[in-house]
Amino acid sequence: MPDWKPEILRRLAPLKLSPAREGEIAEEIAQHLDDQYEELLADGHSADSAFRASLDELKDEDLLARNLWSVESDLYREPIALGNSSSNWFAGILQDIRYAFRMMRKSPGFTAVAILTLALGIGANTAIFTMMNGLMLHTLPVRDPGQLVEILHHYPDDPEPGFNGFSWDAYQTMRDGNHVLSDLIIGSLNNYVVGGPALESQTVFGGNVGGTYFETLGVQPAIGRLIGPQDAMDSSPVAVVSWSFWKSRFNLNPAIIGQKVTASDTPVTIIGVTQRGFYGLSNQAQQDIWLPYSLGHRALGDFAVALLGRLKSGVTIPQARAELATLFKTANDRPNANPFMRQMELRIVPAGNGVSTPVTQMLSTPLTVLMATVGLLLLLACANLAGLLLARGAARQHELAVRVCLGAARARLLRQTLTESLLLSLIGSAVGIFLAYFAADRLIRLFASGRFMMGLPVHFDVLKQPDARVLIFTAAIALLTGLLCGAAPAMSASNAMPASALLPGSKIGETKRQRLFGKGLVAAQVAISLVLVSLAGLFVGYLAQLRNNLGFERNNLLLVTLDFAKSGYNAAQFSRLSQELVMRLNAIPGVTSATFSEMSPMEGPGAASFAAADGHPDKTTAVWMNYIAPSYFETYLTPFLAGRDFSARDQAGSRVAIINESAARNCFGNENPIGRHITPSHITMTEGEKTFEIVGIVGDAKYKDLNQPAPPTIYADLIQEGFIGSQLAIRTRIDPGGLAGAVRQTEATVLKSVPIVRMMEMNQQIDSSIVPQRLFAALSAGLGALGALLAVIGLYGLLAYTVVWRTHEIGVRIALGAAATDVMRIVLRDALWMVCVGLAIGAPLAFWGKRLAASLIPDLPVASPLPIVLAVAIMIAVGLIAAYLPARRAMRVDPMVALRYE
Amino acid sequence: MDKTASQVEWKKGSAELLILSLVEARPRHGYEISKLIEQRSGGTVRFHVASLYPLLYRLERRGWLLGRWVEKNGQRRRRYYRLTRQGRKVLASQLRGWQEFVAGINRITEAENA
Repeated sequence: MPDWKPEILRRLAPLKLSPAREGEIAEEIAQHLDDQYEELLADGHSADSAFRASLDELKDEDLLARNLWSVESDLYREPIALGNSSSNWFAGILQDIRYAFRMMRKSPGFTAVAILTLALGIGANTAIFTMMNGLMLHTLPVRDPGQLVEILHHYPDDPEPGFNGFSWDAYQTMRDGNHVLSDLIIGSLNNYVVGGPALESQTVFGGNVGGTYFETLGVQPAIGRLIGPQDAMDSSPVAVVSWSFWKSRFNLNPAIIGQKVTASDTPVTIIGVTQRGFYGLSNQAQQDIWLPYSLGHRALGDFAVALLGRLKSGVTIPQARAELATLFKTANDRPNANPFMRQMELRIVPAGNGVSTPVTQMLSTPLTVLMATVGLLLLLACANLAGLLLARGAARQHELAVRVCLGAARARLLRQTLTESLLLSLIGSAVGIFLAYFAADRLIRLFASGRFMMGLPVHFDVLKQPDARVLIFTAAIALLTGLLCGAAPAMSASNAMPASALLPGSKIGETKRQRLFGKGLVAAQVAISLVLVSLAGLFVGYLAQLRNNLGFERNNLLLVTLDFAKSGYNAAQFSRLSQELVMRLNAIPGVTSATFSEMSPMEGPGAASFAAADGHPDKTTAVWMNYIAPSYFETYLTPFLAGRDFSARDQAGSRVAIINESAARNCFGNENPIGRHITPSHITMTEGEKTFEIVGIVGDAKYKDLNQPAPPTIYADLIQEGFIGSQLAIRTRIDPGGLAGAVRQTEATVLKSVPIVRMMEMNQQIDSSIVPQRLFAALSAGLGALGALLAVIGLYGLLAYTVVWRTHEIGVRIALGAAATDVMRIVLRDALWMVCVGLAIGAPLAFWGKRLAASLIPDLPVASPLPIVLAVAIMIAVGLIAAYLPARRAMRVDPMVALRYE
Repeated sequence: MDKTASQVEWKKGSAELLILSLVEARPRHGYEISKLIEQRSGGTVRFHVASLYPLLYRLERRGWLLGRWVEKNGQRRRRYYRLTRQGRKVLASQLRGWQEFVAGINRITEAENA
């Protein structure tokens, strides 16, 4: 009797049926053909003709498969395990989990690498997301937070968010004239030193609030009553505290009502406690005490009130901005308004997640970019692990084939493989959350060391507390990671080909498609690494750019901040003593020069103004101001381009100033400014106009922000203006740290009643002004390095596996006369091929990433191709490093051993 | 339409009906079903293996037939198909429909040829 089964099985193969089903169909059809064959023989047909006629029943090669396709495609049933009901899908899950744990224990090295890879990827994502969540996603616990908007004003074209401070008149004009807000409330953020008879003094964050503040925010009292319109009208000496303040300082004692305390020297009576959970308007700067906005505050002038609006329903932010901007202009156009404010533009931003603070302003953009970067890292980790699992899965084909033969359903194998990868990602996440908590804590501490943070009682805790949202985020990425890592290996496992895999010496069933997929994964890793490494290069380059081209020499410069407040010195005394101090400092060996100024570069604050040059009365230029003593430029090493420095002779004569190159260009164009006059009007926080004769021009130097171009600057004579400059700068020939003692001693001798507040090197001051950028560069460099490392692991893993897989073939080649270098070339060619494909995919992505980063961070040095070129070189090096060991191993293959292999 | 083509069309429409009615009386295996169809149609209707078995599996999937491996002494095991309760209902309704259809056709053709 002919064996029909091979013919039938060949026709069934495209259907990829389960072996059991395949066998059943083959048996039934073979039997049919047997019957037919026997009948034909009995009818007198020859064996050959009977065979052909029977085989003809199967018709075309593909007819059987085509007819069966629609019937069998969904006939895919879980085999029934003994003692189990197949209807319970979850029945085997515990078994799968146990099995997965066993597999993990079996290869601890692999498990450790996998978990660590995932923990780093998931941990980095969780850490950054935790901070983003605390900073940008927490909605304020008030009524309808989505309708709240913050009202800011800013210089035209200034990318910074702006400043929330308005004159009383502007507030009233906007409040009474608008149709877009249901309420416009006053709510500022201030520090208070709160103390009392039974209360130890402590600095707490609080605010001056208008009469409708609590009502508009929908806040209820826990006990007592809250500040109302009458309190604001009467400027009552009352205060409301937060529930957490009540708990921590009064242990929830109801007797708090009526307690008299002082808030920054103002005696107030506590009239109520806000509802539990309310902490004011900022997620980072949680407020504990509120005082009514009093009449006295109105005298603060242009920045008297901080404003928060509640949009009417249906009103958009652009609509609100349009109307409020008109009203703001109306207020500023009044004759008694400060003309300085006329330059300002209005900006309205959503405040449902809290008002902007230095923390949000400083961290939002870096965090957004970091989030994208760590997302890429996770993707890389997924590709890496998927590759490793796939390679390991290929090594397990034999085992899987045995299981299929014993009746395991493919769906079941799929689930089991996925269980393994999900379990890995779950454990990775648990480790990741642990890492994330400490990473977020460390990151926040580093951020907090920046100059904007000093002295701010910022509640950073909220930034590192993982809440439900963070946990959901982490769970979601863990699940996604598990599926991403496991999908390919699971598919490959469920396609285990029992027949071929069980043959002795078989190539364990790995198909060309699977090998190509594995290579594709490595290429993807190279591509993602390229993006990460080139971004790292970009940010490190940016940092270097920030630290250089300052316009002054940052090394060997010691800065001393003095506190003249309680010295009682007048301008004349200051003038005399400061000159004496400079003289004595100059006498210290190692000091080359010293000078006083009102501000030092990158110190933080600054004074701004609009200046008009004589001959150009209609043109005003935004300028920054500083007041300096003689030898300022000599000390800072800013070059003189024309004219002269201030001198003692100037004190008797008319007002003189030195301007920088930008100011000269902007105010005077091509004319020579020396001897001409310039009039800065309405210098920040002052009212008067002053006209200066220009005596010198110096090179441009950075003023307040390293990431802004050097602004047009006017330097006026500190002594001539009768100001007291608290910033002392000392240029040294040696390490400035070594001179600190001598400087302290000299200062104490000359300025007996003036304490030194702070002493730091210029480099430290610069670094503290760019903490986010530094961290950002360090983090992206770290992520880039990690990315490259993962790519090495991925590439090495695949190549090492390929070499083992091809040992037999390599042995044959060597036996046939291939030289060791030929063998090495094979492995290297494989590696470089994958790297090149990765680079080809990654390069456009890197360019795109660069453009995206540049759109978020102005001044990024995107024009330079260096980061990408460098990254390409690094990735090629990575490829060669990863290929080295496998290549060496391939070269040492002994043909005799290889041919006996397997 | 030539003879073969029209036979293919009829076969398609009637195949399910033929199989269901053949297993109505008692369970039969695939070869037996195909032989019966061929014999009773006088050789005009034939199902080859590549069509018959997919059709049997389809009817089984629909729950109209139930296939069972049956082992008899001294013989190889065979798969027998029997009509299910649902299959019986389907058969009855298909038969009715077929008879009405044939009657309708007859009425038309008889009227034309009278």
